[in-house]
Amino acid sequence: MMNKYADVLIIGAGLSGLTAAAKAAEQGKKVMLVAKGMGAVGLSSGCIDLWGYNLKDPNQVCQEPVAEIAGLCTMNPQHPYARLQDVLEESLLFFRRICHENHNPYLDNRGGNWLLPTALGTLRPTYLVPASMAVGDLQQVSCFLVVGFRELKDFYPDVLVANLKKSGALQAHCRLNSLMVSAGGGELSPNTLAHRLENPRVLVRIVDQIKPHLLPGAVLLFPPVLGERWDSRVAKNLAENLGHPVYEVANIPPALPGQRLQQMLLHHVKGQGVEVVIGCTVNGARVAGKRCTEVQATGAGKKIRIFAKTVVLATGSFLGGGLESEPGKAWESIFRLPVETGREKWSARDFLAMEGHLFNQKGIKVNEYLQPVDDQGQVIIENVLITGANLAGCNYPIEKCGNGVAVASGYKAGKLAGEAGE
Amino acid sequence: MSSDHRFALDNCIKCSICVSHCPVARVTDKFAGPKQNGPDLERFRLEEPAAVHSSIGYCSNCKGCDVACPSGVAISAMNCRAKGEYVSLHGASLRDKILARVEWMGKAARLAPSLVNRLAGFQPLRLLAEKMLGVSAVMTLPRYAEKTFLELYKSKNIDEKKTKVLYYPGCYVNYNAPEVGLALAEVLAHNNIQLEVEQFNCCGLPLITNGLLDMARDQAKNNLEKLQGYINKGYHIITTCPSCNLTLRREYQKLFQLNTDSLNEKMLDAFEYLGMLLQQGKMVARFEELPLRIGYHQPCHLKAAGCGVPSREILQLIPGLRVEDLDAGCCGLSGSYGFKKEKYAISQEIGRNGFNAVKELGVHQVISECGMCQLQIHHLTGAAVYHPLQVLAQACGPGRWLAK
Repeated sequence: MMNKYADVLIIGAGLSGLTAAAKAAEQGKKVMLVAKGMGAVGLSSGCIDLWGYNLKDPNQVCQEPVAEIAGLCTMNPQHPYARLQDVLEESLLFFRRICHENHNPYLDNRGGNWLLPTALGTLRPTYLVPASMAVGDLQQVSCFLVVGFRELKDFYPDVLVANLKKSGALQAHCRLNSLMVSAGGGELSPNTLAHRLENPRVLVRIVDQIKPHLLPGAVLLFPPVLGERWDSRVAKNLAENLGHPVYEVANIPPALPGQRLQQMLLHHVKGQGVEVVIGCTVNGARVAGKRCTEVQATGAGKKIRIFAKTVVLATGSFLGGGLESEPGKAWESIFRLPVETGREKWSARDFLAMEGHLFNQKGIKVNEYLQPVDDQGQVIIENVLITGANLAGCNYPIEKCGNGVAVASGYKAGKLAGEAGE
Repeated sequence: MSSDHRFALDNCIKCSICVSHCPVARVTDKFAGPKQNGPDLERFRLEEPAAVHSSIGYCSNCKGCDVACPSGVAISAMNCRAKGEYVSLHGASLRDKILARVEWMGKAARLAPSLVNRLAGFQPLRLLAEKMLGVSAVMTLPRYAEKTFLELYKSKNIDEKKTKVLYYPGCYVNYNAPEVGLALAEVLAHNNIQLEVEQFNCCGLPLITNGLLDMARDQAKNNLEKLQGYINKGYHIITTCPSCNLTLRREYQKLFQLNTDSLNEKMLDAFEYLGMLLQQGKMVARFEELPLRIGYHQPCHLKAAGCGVPSREILQLIPGLRVEDLDAGCCGLSGSYGFKKEKYAISQEIGRNGFNAVKELGVHQVISECGMCQLQIHHLTGAAVYHPLQVLAQACGPGRWLAK
């Protein structure tokens, strides 16, 4: 059997796991990251949501997410943010620094939320966005041109235009036009199209097709396929050649901005010396007293034992397999940490219910050091730290806080693991 | 259909992570992608085995889908079976039948290796082969060695007291790159361990990827029987080719339902074995300084083994050596795939990331465990490409392991 040794073992390759790996490695620790598969950040919008709507009036977009989160922590001390407030701003700076260093800058909207159009023409509040998605104040735009590709399913400019018109977020006389262009034929997935657009000759042909339709002052909206890699110049080149601002809007997965963020973070942590093993499933652990002494994993049929001083559990919720359930009960899948179930119904009647679904709030309770605790608040395992969607108490689809909790908790776990003594 | 298999199929949540990580689907729309060909069509194949899409021929079997899948779906095995089904329905081309028989080609080339090498570089013949057979006229062909590894390796007088391990060299080392096997013997001798050899069949991977599953199954049974004999005698089995390793341990079980439990326990990549010695304090970690900065390319099939990069820890012990990860994904060649006329351009397009990474890092030497990856990186960049064992052998003492 193969043995591996590390100071810090991260289980999971999502946003919180990768952030934890980056932070722990920065502090000079020997870090290993294992994951069953590619994490969910590649399926995300690529934007970092912090807090979407006002606590008092959920119909209003939250203007100051950081201040709102401070209020939330007093109101709801069970929310994960209540354990993360001390590092929240620090973690966002850290995240932005990594993005900046890797030529994939993430922008904030002067401390407030961005309100960005989606592929459906709805508006979505979010806190940090890649430069290619940062459409500024919609009220300032006199004309939008929404461009789709004939080769791409799942993006219909007319739908975006029709819904954005109805949104009431635009100035009264804002003109909205749509245009379909061709990138050379075929029926392409977002990735194949993004790859094709990296070819300068293809881009020239796209520019030629768009130019006759440009009105003065037009801002162009595209599906999120403008470039493969995190440091791609496709969006910039398009904007330069057209002489108009060009942005990508959020769309259903698989969309490129989330994948770019994932690839960038993986590349970054590997560069920091983190050993990354994807396709390796952790299926058990040995716990002596209150310490995890060994983690057991299987990679392609082969058993591996991993010995680490600190383990960061970033395996996600039910969808990612971090939590498991049966009718009436739920538990964490590796350490069998308890997940409180209660007597209420786990889901609302409507799929898109405004109050969200209770199962999204299920997770592991932690103390301020992110250690798992039981009903009485007693630490269950000292050297296991919990992050991201493994944490109990957040209703991320409704609150718009998933990636914010992931960055802050990943950062904090990485920092704590980095500070852990010998 | 085993319940295991059914379970794996039901695990697919249609998230498309596999599609977005497929190197082939990234660069071409000729391949419908791992999800459609795999779990999507597999539902139909539960009732009708012939439900295979012709684009399955464009799967390169890199297994990136298996690695990316967070739900444990055996996507590549479904695709391999589908390709087998497609070939059993429509037949394989003469070219594919030839390219699949790597062992047979190696044996045939034995008759006159230098002539074969010369003909492989003779452009009119290559153009003819492209026209008649569909083998790309521009892809660099692997060179055959003057003598096979099995001919070159003389087990020095067997010392019964020494620890002995069995080596499964695979076709590439035996016929094309015997220096890799010799480097392994050198490194093990440095650690007082004796390497034993045996005649094996090709692991069968080229047959599998060309859809000739029945023939691959027969070779699998032969190989497994022989290997089991050594395992029963207490041997560790060492491999240097990640694709052979994965095929023997994993594909035999996934595709042919053969029991590979003891192989999973006893068959180790050379660096895994050395790592084990190191951890047990049994490794002679006395290395000469090697002031080199080299790139490292992780082969897809080593990635798919899910145990990281076993050479990493050991190469770090060599003073002066700096290994930089190319982190460029699939090289694009995928065994016989990139030699096929209609796939050559796809293969080169996939490999562009590797080309860019070598240029960006400014390295002139690259190491990689897989012979085919080595060939492709050399073809793309002109860099000298070695197996990491050659670097380690060089650090163990005299000899010219990095000469090319």
